[in-house]
Amino acid sequence: MRNRFFLWILFLSGAVLFVFTLIAAYREIAPEWKRYQAQYKEQIIKLAKDDATKKKAKELVPAVQQIYLGTLNRIDRCMSCHMGVENPMMANAKLPLKQHSGDYLKNHPPDKFGCTVCHYGQGRATNKKEAHAATRDTHWDFPTIPLKYIQSSCTQCHDYEMLSAKGYDNIAKGAKLFMEKGCRGCHKLNGIGGALGKKLDVVGSQPIAYFPMRFVEGDRNTYNWHKQHFTDPRALVPESEMKINVKPEETDLLATYVLSLRAGEMPKDYRRIKGTQTVEKPDEGEALYRMFCIACHTTGKDSYFDEIFNRTIPAIMKPAFLKTADEKYIKKVVEDGRAGTQMTSWKATAGGLTGVEINNLIAYITKDRPSAKPERFDFAGFKTDLKRGEELYNIRCALCHGKKGQGGEGFLGLNLRNPVVQGADPEFLAITVRDGRSETSMPPFGKKGVGFTDRDIADVVSYVKTMSKKK
Amino acid sequence: MSNETHEKTGMSRRDFLGLASLGAAVISSLTVLAGTFRMFKANVRYEESTKFKIGKAEEFPAGTVKKLDDKGVFILSKDDGIYAISAICTHLGCIVNQVDWGFQCPCHGSRYNEHGKVIGGPAPRSLEWLEISEAVDGSLEVDTAKSVPVGTKLKLYA
Repeated sequence: MRNRFFLWILFLSGAVLFVFTLIAAYREIAPEWKRYQAQYKEQIIKLAKDDATKKKAKELVPAVQQIYLGTLNRIDRCMSCHMGVENPMMANAKLPLKQHSGDYLKNHPPDKFGCTVCHYGQGRATNKKEAHAATRDTHWDFPTIPLKYIQSSCTQCHDYEMLSAKGYDNIAKGAKLFMEKGCRGCHKLNGIGGALGKKLDVVGSQPIAYFPMRFVEGDRNTYNWHKQHFTDPRALVPESEMKINVKPEETDLLATYVLSLRAGEMPKDYRRIKGTQTVEKPDEGEALYRMFCIACHTTGKDSYFDEIFNRTIPAIMKPAFLKTADEKYIKKVVEDGRAGTQMTSWKATAGGLTGVEINNLIAYITKDRPSAKPERFDFAGFKTDLKRGEELYNIRCALCHGKKGQGGEGFLGLNLRNPVVQGADPEFLAITVRDGRSETSMPPFGKKGVGFTDRDIADVVSYVKTMSKKK
Repeated sequence: MSNETHEKTGMSRRDFLGLASLGAAVISSLTVLAGTFRMFKANVRYEESTKFKIGKAEEFPAGTVKKLDDKGVFILSKDDGIYAISAICTHLGCIVNQVDWGFQCPCHGSRYNEHGKVIGGPAPRSLEWLEISEAVDGSLEVDTAKSVPVGTKLKLYA
């Protein structure tokens, strides 16, 4: 009885081992690529026009095809399955045996360039799943890139002008969008840009782990992440404050552009860069406004309450604002930013704009300044009473600007404690209180509006100027 | 029961099971052994292939000489065929130059005639003629690991 039991155990374990070794042996003897190479051989024999080619095809021995690229630090074995990429006879064959489309290989011989330098994917893999690396269980950061983004690989060696001249203008278009949609208002590129968003210098080479992939639809890779993030940032990153104002067809162009921002450089003898290869910083006012300001301030003509920032974004190009705000004041805001809000400091040591560029920018912002100057207030001529100012403030101003002047988030009015208001000329503040800001929520408090006397206004302004010290 | 001898074959059930499992174990071990030996022969190596494509035959019209610097090969095309001569000096491995009367090494002055035969200088051997062949996709391939007898030329069909 006992003997028989052990015999059964031996029989079963022997059979299991047998089956597993057979499977292992089969997989070793008949890998995926051998099947494709057999198909290739068969098709070549069928399509051969002369006996010599036929004879050579018959002599083909299945073997892993490998391109060793020492200078690129790559080993590509893609041609183990994609046997026909260089063979004109395979122009009408089915994938993976089909010839490479276009005449790209003429100037990019696979012996020198390999495949993954443009197409990505895991070059050393010898089966489709791991080589294309589309699914997460292959643990590869850069799966084969969808053809709609493939032009992002071209800028490794080519400039925008050359690519556009040949009709490959997706990156140049994407770069134009990047420049005109105000992306740099929040994102730094080459050290220039705002501080709210992430730096974009090598975003195209960032691994999957860098991106929150949880809500990505479809395959969780960086390509889909960028595309979907440009479509709806908050669908992927719920706490994102990113502003996006692009048409659906433009998301692909922007994704192509950001995917072209890569780490590392191609070896010198591969590069053919003569013109622009990344976006430059313009020095003309309107272009600067588009690059750095437009994402939040939009046209600059209307202020609006922003749901995401939870505060009002001022209309900085509206004549009513420009009438009271002088160059000096605007320049201070642009250079130092507004602490406590999303407005970044743009001086050379922060956002990275030079004095000349800031002046050009301000010249553009203030181009619609009305010639009529506001009536002088003559703040210096008043002897102010802080206590009275505080009483008036609490009754009249605190509702919108907050009891402590904190304003901003959740309030209709802006923060009065920030350095720009605190450092502003009291004359300017008094005129603003007296005349209000037309087309915003700030009414005129002078005789024409609420009915403050000039003395009331001077008291309130002097109180406001002390608010930063209030706890 | 199981101990009963099978009437026709004369083999008990126990003997059959024993033999079958023994057979499975032996075959498995042999397969594993074969697999182990298979590992000694690599499918590919981490090194540049000695065989490389040099382009289509049309790119080498008769009477032209092309020097592939990074591969160290001269591709010479004549009326009676196309052939490849190694450009690596057999003395210390410099890349030789082509001159009127053949090849000259810039390093130590080794001289070879137009067929690569050494005619002067410190070089111990002549330049090798390398195998050149036409691949199925119509491009020419050179294999620097395979030398051919002097005078072997590839006649082009086209």
